[in-house]
Amino acid sequence: MRLLDYIDNSQASCGSATSMADAKVWQPAEVVMNPEQLERAVAEGGELSILVVHSKSDSAKMNFNVGQHGSLRLVEVFLGDSFVECNINQQADSECDIVMIQVAGAIADYTINLDGGHADNRLRAAYVVGDEERCRVSLRVNHNVADCTSDSLVKGVAGGKAVGEFNGMVYVAQDAQRTDARQTNRNVEIGPDAKIITKPQLEIYADDVKCSHGATVGQMDGDAIMYMRQRGLSEQQARRMQLEGFVADVISVNGEIGEALKEELVAKLEKL
Amino acid sequence: MLSVKNLHASVGDKEILRGINLEVKAGEVHAIMGPNGSGKSTLASVLAGNDKFAVTEGEVSFLGQNLLDMSIEDRARMGLFLGFQYPVEIPGVTMANFMKVAVNEQRKFRGEEPLTAGEFLRMMRDRSAVVELDSKLTGRAVNEGFSGGEKKKNEIFQMAMLDPKLAILDETDSGLDIDALRIVATGVTKLHTEHNATVVITHYQRLLDYIVPDYVHVLYKGQIIYSGDKTLALKLEKEGYDWLINQHKE
Repeated sequence: MRLLDYIDNSQASCGSATSMADAKVWQPAEVVMNPEQLERAVAEGGELSILVVHSKSDSAKMNFNVGQHGSLRLVEVFLGDSFVECNINQQADSECDIVMIQVAGAIADYTINLDGGHADNRLRAAYVVGDEERCRVSLRVNHNVADCTSDSLVKGVAGGKAVGEFNGMVYVAQDAQRTDARQTNRNVEIGPDAKIITKPQLEIYADDVKCSHGATVGQMDGDAIMYMRQRGLSEQQARRMQLEGFVADVISVNGEIGEALKEELVAKLEKL
Repeated sequence: MLSVKNLHASVGDKEILRGINLEVKAGEVHAIMGPNGSGKSTLASVLAGNDKFAVTEGEVSFLGQNLLDMSIEDRARMGLFLGFQYPVEIPGVTMANFMKVAVNEQRKFRGEEPLTAGEFLRMMRDRSAVVELDSKLTGRAVNEGFSGGEKKKNEIFQMAMLDPKLAILDETDSGLDIDALRIVATGVTKLHTEHNATVVITHYQRLLDYIVPDYVHVLYKGQIIYSGDKTLALKLEKEGYDWLINQHKE
């Protein structure tokens, strides 16, 4: 099922029995299509799970505040060439889990502020662009206070004459001791005309921190393709399977929506 | 089943295979031994169709067809299986998914209907038992985070799933502890019938205690310099290759 079909089907049941209690199948409590402005506050100890879809060429500003011990799960999907700024402020002991996919020439610009001790942020994202599309993911994670954790993994595939760009920044303030921050960007370029630009950066002012960042840009793994072909897959099947595997493992949500997100990625990969 | 005549192959301008002759019939087990760098793995790769190597001379027929004209995948679909010396990790692709596509591609090639989900699951269960493969591994990404032993068991599991006519096992015993070696080798023996054939490439006689070969060939500098029965492997284990190499030089 494609994502928009999923949304049509689930509109009726949305907001009723939400799923945070039922950890097995994830369902958002709220689905928002093409917002221009979106503000949500998660109360102290509260929970919010939300799916935001951008299917048009417009721009949006989103703000999330997650109170102490609060929990936010955001799934954001770019089907159109939108430009979206998203700010997330997290208070002490809060959790935020973001899954984002871009299958269009969109721009996603995230700023995450970890403002209270032991706040935890996890982001998993993938972009797939083809033809002459250009997409960008900017991610700034500000460790403003001590004892926070962040873990970001962004994967990209560019085919045709497309350009995929990642700008990452982990900022660790002077007082933010015992920060544990990870940021990784991995990419595959398909063909000679595709281009990946990646700029992972660290800015660290504290001295007792664990930070890692890394970026890779590679081609398809020829040995893996040979291996799969030796089992009987065509070269094209092997390539597609490898790419699907590469990007789809960022989708940490399960259930119908997880499947719908994978379908969006697969459909896009098939067009490359 | 497989007939190799005067096969020459090179990588770049370096000739690695210099005239291999080999006949393998259904029901037979052949062992290929030889010192490091003699061309054993190259022979396996060339037969599988790895395009890193250029075939410069010779002929190979497999089940009556010209093997060298076929793509890697068509060789596989015809029933040629290569157990890799270094199985490749494929992140994000589960074993179950990979095998489902592979099995159904091979069925399609033979004009058979794809397996239903139920049939496929039963097959996975049955065949993973052949090599005592932990069923959890089939839900994981192909070879990712598998131990050395698990990777090799996984090769034989795939062989069990695909039921090849000819299996070429490239140093399937390397890096295995004694128990894993027994399990892998017993698995290969279980899969052997009078309708299929196995070529094992190995450095050690101990694998051949389980997989008893009909023929043992010694490869040296890209040629088979000597062939014998299973007692040859025992002699090589004791005496090394020098006597053969000296004999060959004379």
